[in-house]
Amino acid sequence: MPRDDRPERPERSERGGYRKYFAPKRKFCRFCQRNVRGIDYKAVEILKKYIPDRGKITPRRITGTCAFHQRKLALAVKRARLMALLPYVED
Amino acid sequence: MRQYETGFVLSPALSEEETAQFIQQMADIVAQKKGHMVRQDVWGKRRLAYPIKRFQEGVYVFFTYEGPGDVSTELERRFKQTDTVIRFMTVLKDPRDLVRRKKKRRAAEEAAPAAAPAPAPADVKEEK
Repeated sequence: MPRDDRPERPERSERGGYRKYFAPKRKFCRFCQRNVRGIDYKAVEILKKYIPDRGKITPRRITGTCAFHQRKLALAVKRARLMALLPYVED
Repeated sequence: MRQYETGFVLSPALSEEETAQFIQQMADIVAQKKGHMVRQDVWGKRRLAYPIKRFQEGVYVFFTYEGPGDVSTELERRFKQTDTVIRFMTVLKDPRDLVRRKKKRRAAEEAAPAAAPAPAPADVKEEK
């Protein structure tokens, strides 16, 4: 098959991952934005935003949370799990 | 003095009087051990995220108190003895969380008043 017959690939910048479907948006840490220092494990409504369907903690690269707050967040989620406020597994 | 927060989940099988009585007993222990109760939250019956001892719901209670370390030790010893407590956890409150919050409030006041309403709801959720 000659090279020219192959379907043309889109430009490299348009290809790959979610960039194909979503315009890359500037991400920021929502906790820094609101100047929250500590994250309480009892604030279930806030924590729920960071655990999608499977009940796993969303990584920083997706949510844009800063390293400081991601550490606090992970600890808070784990504490909430122990107290049965959040699930360990969900399917 | 260090601030601790002990949260515990009570069995839903208890009657309301028994629940209130148990919470009162635990609050008395804090006072007995020379602890100072800062805050006492009773969330009431709430669905558990997963079953514990075959219970699907539990009564959530949170104590925030200041005092020597043996307050939490004593509370936990009691929790282990009774079957009414199905889950408990003691957390040391970080004093730095409080320091920054004060600073933030001052900063918010200094900043434009339009910025002030935005952080306020986050505060409420945080302290709940």
